[in-house]
Amino acid sequence: MSTYFTRFTFRQRVEHALVMSLFIVLSVTGLPQKYFDAAWARWFIDLTGGIDHLRWFHRIAGLSFATLTVWHVMFAIGSVAAGRSPLSIVPNRKDFDDAIQMMRYYLGRIDQPAQFDRFDYRQKFEYWGLVLGAVVVISTGLILYFPILFTRFFPGELIPAAKVAHSNEGLMAFLVVILWHIYNAHLNPDVFPFDKTIFTGKISLERMHDEHPLELERLKQVQDIEES
Amino acid sequence: MLSTLFLLLTLSLQPGQAATGKAADVETCLACHGDRSMAVTLPSGEIRSLYVDVAMFRASVHGNKIGCADCHQDMTAVPHEARPFKTLREFTVAYYEQCKRCHFDNYTKTLDSVHYQALARGDRTAPLCVDCHGAHDVKSPQKPKSQISRTCAKCHEGVFTVYNKSVHGRFLEKSDDVPGCTDCHRSHDVAGPKDVNWQRRTPELCRGCHENKRLMAKYGLSTAVAQTYVADFHGMTATLHETDTGREVSVVALCTDCHGVHDIAKVNEPGSRVLRANLVETCARCHAGATENFPGAWMSHYEPSWKKAPLVYGVQLFYNILIPFMISGLVLQMLLHFWRVVVNR
Repeated sequence: MSTYFTRFTFRQRVEHALVMSLFIVLSVTGLPQKYFDAAWARWFIDLTGGIDHLRWFHRIAGLSFATLTVWHVMFAIGSVAAGRSPLSIVPNRKDFDDAIQMMRYYLGRIDQPAQFDRFDYRQKFEYWGLVLGAVVVISTGLILYFPILFTRFFPGELIPAAKVAHSNEGLMAFLVVILWHIYNAHLNPDVFPFDKTIFTGKISLERMHDEHPLELERLKQVQDIEES
Repeated sequence: MLSTLFLLLTLSLQPGQAATGKAADVETCLACHGDRSMAVTLPSGEIRSLYVDVAMFRASVHGNKIGCADCHQDMTAVPHEARPFKTLREFTVAYYEQCKRCHFDNYTKTLDSVHYQALARGDRTAPLCVDCHGAHDVKSPQKPKSQISRTCAKCHEGVFTVYNKSVHGRFLEKSDDVPGCTDCHRSHDVAGPKDVNWQRRTPELCRGCHENKRLMAKYGLSTAVAQTYVADFHGMTATLHETDTGREVSVVALCTDCHGVHDIAKVNEPGSRVLRANLVETCARCHAGATENFPGAWMSHYEPSWKKAPLVYGVQLFYNILIPFMISGLVLQMLLHFWRVVVNR
């Protein structure tokens, strides 16, 4: 038996579960619209009861995702304002150095991998990618949802531009999750077959030692930790 | 095939009634029906001439193929039996079924037509074969092509007047390139405006000509209209609705909703619904509350380019660069990481 640390709060785990579910629904209802000419898309659109139904599913999921994003951002701003946030997800100079050091380590130029704190540069990249991507898809999604309203204040060309942005950003998010996130959370030999931390909130001492040594160091300052 | 079978069947059941023009047969009838003054007064007061202009019949498509008794089968005894018709129209309706003995395929198509629906409702004025084709004077309908539309105009005068002013109708007499009535509505299985499954296929109908490179080059028109339509919301939805037959579907703008139907105009002539000055009104027919900028949301069948839609083109270009860059970068990271794990083992 090894020692476990609490890495994620209940709120964070619920947020992740919601983002995951909504992301799946949005991808599954969005991509067939982008590729509606393909046979598989036709089959799926038919299965959901036609394009009109599918669009409603997509809009409802989109509005839910927008609500969740707004909630997350408000909560984050609130925490930072109250001084309760460690700001550990904010990128800094060290992340760029770490990225370069890891490249050199992968290529066998140096023997030591970089030492990470609470979040490594890949995790920060993915978090900010998701937040920025969310801003793009939500804003363009709303423009596509309410074109009459938006063209009262903006030129009409905004609508087709929003469509291009929305569908490309959605595709990119889908590819990043399918390739990058699935690799990091499942296929990566260090965690294979399944990194459960975001669901249980718990991470083992061994993994802390390997993946977040700087954070472990800081924790050792304030609590008694026995490393075998 | 079906019609051939049916024909053979009919003929085999009619010994000695081969469908060939028997001179003797025609001559026998003309002994009486060659008389110009021969006529009968019906109970309705209408007068029916019984004179047959044999020269006209000879000049028709049937003139050297069939004889009188091939259509007038019930005329076996001379003098003929008394007949129950009270009006001229009753007589015509009674003869409606004669053509199908040879033209079974076209006859069955008419059963799917809006004209037959009217007949089935009991509308005696609904057109029958002879109303469009004639009886003793049946001609090939295609010569000239404009003849077809003028035939329709006999009943559909209002529509024809509107059509005649349209970009298609104006050239009806000058060119066989423009669509006449039957090119869109079909000829025997005539579709009417309430036929939703036919309406849904409007883009397909227009594409038939408007994607024909040779034809459009002749008039300096773009063949990209269909693909640019399908690339947008209207076209995407319409394309998906085409296969959604029988399902309750949303209303979506088809070609005719913006360009008009019988009154289609050149896009740049004063009456055109898609002139910039008229666009807001055209959009607002579906998009209630559309304001001045709204029509700009539709790229007027243009492909995005730096000139036509710089914002759209720029955003597309941005993602065309970003997506491959992002994905290849991440895949490279994954491979490097995996490679290092393998080497360390």
